[in-house]
Amino acid sequence: MATLPVDDLAITGAFGPHLSPRTRGGTADAPDRLVKTHCCFCGQQCGIQLKVSGNEVIGFEPWEEFPFNRGMLCPKGVKRYLQGSHPDRLLTALRRDPGAPGGFRAMPYDEAIRHVAREIARLQREHGNAAIGVLGGASLTTEKTYLLGKFARVCLKTPYIDYNGRLCMVSAGAANKKAFGIDRTTNPWSDMVGTEVIWVAGSNVAECSPITTNYIWQAREMGARVIVQDPRITPIARTCDLYLPVRPGRDAALFAGVLGLMIEHGWIDHEFIAEHTVGFDAVAAYCKTWPIARTAEVTGVPERSLRRAAELWGTAKTSFLFHARGIEHHSNGVQNALGTINLVLATGRIGRPKSGYGTIVGQANGQGGREHGQKCDQLPGWRDISNPEHRRYIASVWNIEEPELPGPGVDAYELFRKIDAGEIKGLIAICFNPVVSLPDNQFIARALDKLELFVAIDFFLSDTARHADVVLPGSLQEEDEGTVTQVEGRVIKINRAVDCPGEARQDWRIIQDLARALDRPHGMTFASPQEIFEELRIASKGGVADYSGITYDKIDAQLGVFWPCYSEDPRTGAPTPDHPGTPRLFEPDSYNPVARGAGRFYFPDGKARFNVADHRPAVDDASSEFPIFLTTGRVVSQFLSGTQTRRIGPLVAQYPEPRLELHPRLADKLGIADGDWATCETPRGAITLRAMVVTTIRPDTVFIPYHWPGDKSPNRLTVAAQDPISKIPQYKVCGCRVRRAAGPPAYASEREPQQ
Amino acid sequence: MPVPQQLEFFVDPSRCIGCQACVQACTECDTHRGEAMIHLEYVDRAHSVQTVPVVCMHCEQPTCAEVCPADAIKRSGDGVVQSARKPRCIACGNCVVACPFGVPELYIDRAIMMKCDMCYDRTSVGKKPMCATVCPSQALFFGTREQALALRPQSAPTHTFRFGDQTITTRVNVMVPRRAVPSHVDVTAAMAERASGRGLRLPVLDSADPFADVEV
Amino acid sequence: MSPPATRATAWAIAFAIGLGVLIMLGSRNLAHFDAALVGYTFATLFATFGITYRYAMWLQRPPTRMYWRRGWRAFLAPRALPGNLARFAKRAVVEVAANRFILRRDRMRGVTHLLLMWGCFLAAAITFPLVWGWIHFETVPGHLGLYRAYLFGYATGDFAVSSALAFVVFHGLVWASLLVLAGVMLAFRRRMRDRGAEAVQQFGEDVLPLVLLAAISVTGLMLTISYTWLRGYAYSFLAILHAITVIVTLLWLPFGKFFHIFQRPAQLGVGFYKDEGARGDQARCRRCSRPFAPAQLIRDLITVERDLGFRYEMAGGHYQEVCPACRRALFGLAQGALWTAPAPPPSEDG
Repeated sequence: MATLPVDDLAITGAFGPHLSPRTRGGTADAPDRLVKTHCCFCGQQCGIQLKVSGNEVIGFEPWEEFPFNRGMLCPKGVKRYLQGSHPDRLLTALRRDPGAPGGFRAMPYDEAIRHVAREIARLQREHGNAAIGVLGGASLTTEKTYLLGKFARVCLKTPYIDYNGRLCMVSAGAANKKAFGIDRTTNPWSDMVGTEVIWVAGSNVAECSPITTNYIWQAREMGARVIVQDPRITPIARTCDLYLPVRPGRDAALFAGVLGLMIEHGWIDHEFIAEHTVGFDAVAAYCKTWPIARTAEVTGVPERSLRRAAELWGTAKTSFLFHARGIEHHSNGVQNALGTINLVLATGRIGRPKSGYGTIVGQANGQGGREHGQKCDQLPGWRDISNPEHRRYIASVWNIEEPELPGPGVDAYELFRKIDAGEIKGLIAICFNPVVSLPDNQFIARALDKLELFVAIDFFLSDTARHADVVLPGSLQEEDEGTVTQVEGRVIKINRAVDCPGEARQDWRIIQDLARALDRPHGMTFASPQEIFEELRIASKGGVADYSGITYDKIDAQLGVFWPCYSEDPRTGAPTPDHPGTPRLFEPDSYNPVARGAGRFYFPDGKARFNVADHRPAVDDASSEFPIFLTTGRVVSQFLSGTQTRRIGPLVAQYPEPRLELHPRLADKLGIADGDWATCETPRGAITLRAMVVTTIRPDTVFIPYHWPGDKSPNRLTVAAQDPISKIPQYKVCGCRVRRAAGPPAYASEREPQQ
Repeated sequence: MPVPQQLEFFVDPSRCIGCQACVQACTECDTHRGEAMIHLEYVDRAHSVQTVPVVCMHCEQPTCAEVCPADAIKRSGDGVVQSARKPRCIACGNCVVACPFGVPELYIDRAIMMKCDMCYDRTSVGKKPMCATVCPSQALFFGTREQALALRPQSAPTHTFRFGDQTITTRVNVMVPRRAVPSHVDVTAAMAERASGRGLRLPVLDSADPFADVEV
Repeated sequence: MSPPATRATAWAIAFAIGLGVLIMLGSRNLAHFDAALVGYTFATLFATFGITYRYAMWLQRPPTRMYWRRGWRAFLAPRALPGNLARFAKRAVVEVAANRFILRRDRMRGVTHLLLMWGCFLAAAITFPLVWGWIHFETVPGHLGLYRAYLFGYATGDFAVSSALAFVVFHGLVWASLLVLAGVMLAFRRRMRDRGAEAVQQFGEDVLPLVLLAAISVTGLMLTISYTWLRGYAYSFLAILHAITVIVTLLWLPFGKFFHIFQRPAQLGVGFYKDEGARGDQARCRRCSRPFAPAQLIRDLITVERDLGFRYEMAGGHYQEVCPACRRALFGLAQGALWTAPAPPPSEDG
């Protein structure tokens, strides 16, 4: 019973997205106070000060002391303050009501909680505990993600919890786990400055993590060469030293070919490989199958450029490699990420100043959100839910019997397949907008239709929450406190600037209110985020992601703490209240509780793993029927599914609607001119957008940004193929065809650009 | 209070990524709340993602002020060319077409020209201008000359420009290669330049087009 | 003295003498001149001299001279004149009298300015003719309850001393000062609260004028209070104090912010020049070929720039023929070109 209660346009009329009427503060508005906190958007987590007057955020002031961004902000950060005091803000619980003009009717919060609890209890009674699924998100504070994992397993006793990091961080996470035994960027970003070569693999840094740009340019000023691998000439690629215009979906081949060249020329660190790694020979053998001519042919990167890349990378003394969704959003995502790690391990340039490897996380808590148990196979402290020892420890912290703890669940997409199959009857979702963000999203909408109970916790009525039976009014980032872990692995503190308006509640209170209403309050009675964090410290203790030495005070004092941060010395067990954290991993004299002195890496033998990073063709690759590569991504002024940024006027004005980017040679062939309406079609569906004809994209590829819903959403087109290990969807490539549209689509006259 | 003399503006358009953080932040400044005074434009989006941020360069002998029939534009003692004085500006637009850098903007309905005043509300109390504070690529940098030189060993600031036969010196600097510092930046010499697809330092390919071999 | 200053001095003397002659005529050879106001009279004469001098100097600046001539020429062009007269009337009412452009800049500032402007205008309209002896009142012979108003010595009408009209007319300055005081308070409120205004305001330029207006209004009101309710308590002291505030303001008119009162009508002239420019040819940018400004404006600006000593001549033309957007692009292209040239040597294997 979760089809839209009324017509989508009617819901939009009532709940937006509308633009914030407040486009600017007055010049006489004086803030009562400045609250030092962090931006609510991406994984860079820039420090920012919010200007607060009464219970309203009225502006921002740069926070120049915070070391990561020193006052720098992207346009989203600058205008993020406009999301508060918004007319679309949900101030009450809502109950689906086809009789109401907007499809939803306000209901008292307590009644909503009781109703939801009753329904959950009923479904679990009739269909078993596993009939309820929970979806979380990586923009939640670590405290909330921890609580959500505990809620699913202890209170709901369901194995079915997963999160939207499944769309984001899992390929990198799985690769890191396989290669290093730990999942974190190895060095602070400041280590980039002074390095000789930087390799940016599949990251539109300028638009997706703008603050990182300054680190790269700063490194360039200090002499670094910059290699960028991307099918589009992004701003960072425009002025890089070496551009590798890779054909979408061929990254693992590129890495294999380049590593093959390096091996051939002896540009590898044999000593490091022998002492600190295992598995090199198999990788070397695999690379032999990628002679450079074949690599060039498959990847579409000219041979000379590949040779130059191998030489630059191979002969450097120091280097930094990072990648992002460009190589991770593939059914081959883990292999792609492993390919980069092989390039790093072969040179031995890891675990020292000016040499590192990292993945640029996407969401606010892309790092912390993947560590403490909202993943289907994971328990707090980056523990494994299938590991008996790990299970016992967490069961003891949670004060339950180990057998009561459910086993591993399924990934977020699989969870929808289970909904579709009728196995999961009820769903609680927070911080996740799959109707926009998952591939083949019309399937997602159909799956939601089959739920008997869909509860969304949200602050705006997101495109997914429109399908809900009950919407519980949650909190904006500035209405709650807690920690997040940013791109470098630095745990930082989000500070509360204002109180929740109306009947809205902080998310952790809502979750606990549900537990209480279910009459299962065990372990769900925290009085503050800090109390949750204190338990999280214990729960993470001894895990790889060990937060036990981190306190709110230490975060304030140090302006962030890099995990692992131990409360007890892993060698001696002596208390270490002053442990400063671990800014750099894998340093020569480092000790970790997994290797126990055997080596630097987080395996019992202390050695890093080479993994054969196999190139496999993309699912639904370009074909004779669908001959053009479709790739998707972001623009700088929007964030993820746009629930927040499509409500902020100045950001909407910057890039109002998605456009289909294509090369003039392709446009000529298709008879499409700049500004024409063009239809892009795959076996899943078709959408019509305005064409943007530019020479900055491969002529065999088209690009569409994904921040918009419905008929503007490229995820109507993308394929629900997933990586077999990480289960990340393959957003970055599939075959499509494009034609000039006869006329404008219906939305052009019906909807505002942001809707 | 005047803007401290040792604090200078350093612009490096080659760093710019076109994110518009500067434009968005500019609208937050109190002397021109709601309007962005900085310009950020694609040079030629069809062929390049190259963008150019342009702030007022604060000329030592401002053409805009000299050609103003209403005496509305004043350069304060700290070298900042202020936005038009509201009682005087008659919105004739002379400054808009005369400024060699293309900075001033006319708001005809309000009969006023407005331009970048280096965030006077901030710089006059020792803060950085909003745009240079937030700029994620630091294409816009505000600080001392010593800081700029230390942070940018490959770059050198210059503040002399040529437009045809006219030399203009400014309070704001642009960054040029330190390996070959020109006596001035010859702006009109760029009349035939095209937006570059890539400003690569290591030309590996014969063609400037990295997609030359890609079949459609 | 430089030639412009000589010319300006000549104009200034001529205007001051002209005003003197009008005072003699209007007061019938000082027959109706109020000797108590002689200080004010001299202050106005000096202000006339100063304002004319500054105005004449201003008009001789190349851009102003160009606009002055072009504005008048555009206005008086025979074919456009009838339309221009209509537009003039409309713009004078909408922009000048009703301050529409200021209201658009900021509503509150518009209201503030309207109060100040109309208060000052009303006060000036009452006091200047009195000071110059152009208006005086006499009791109608035989009717002690009737006043007769004289303009330039000619009787213009009678009215009863106790009538409402008389009350309104004789308290005109009270109403004026109340308008001005309200405006001054609003202006001060903004200057104290608005951080943007705070950043750029200067005492002499922005605050002092408000102080002067406040001082004139307050001392003027105190005069009224003194003779109305306090039986003339401290009247002569207050009269001197009021005279000082007024005279200082008058003497300061040519130098400070108040000079915009005389400059501002140039806005109307500019309007006609722009109308004419919009009807004429448009200059096309040498780089992007898009029209960007009236061709005449560009031609005139080139003349003005040459008069000012700028040398924007470039190969095959003038930099003024490049549009602002292309100027910004050129700035980036020129800087970018420095970084890419000279081209680094090609790589060995490349």
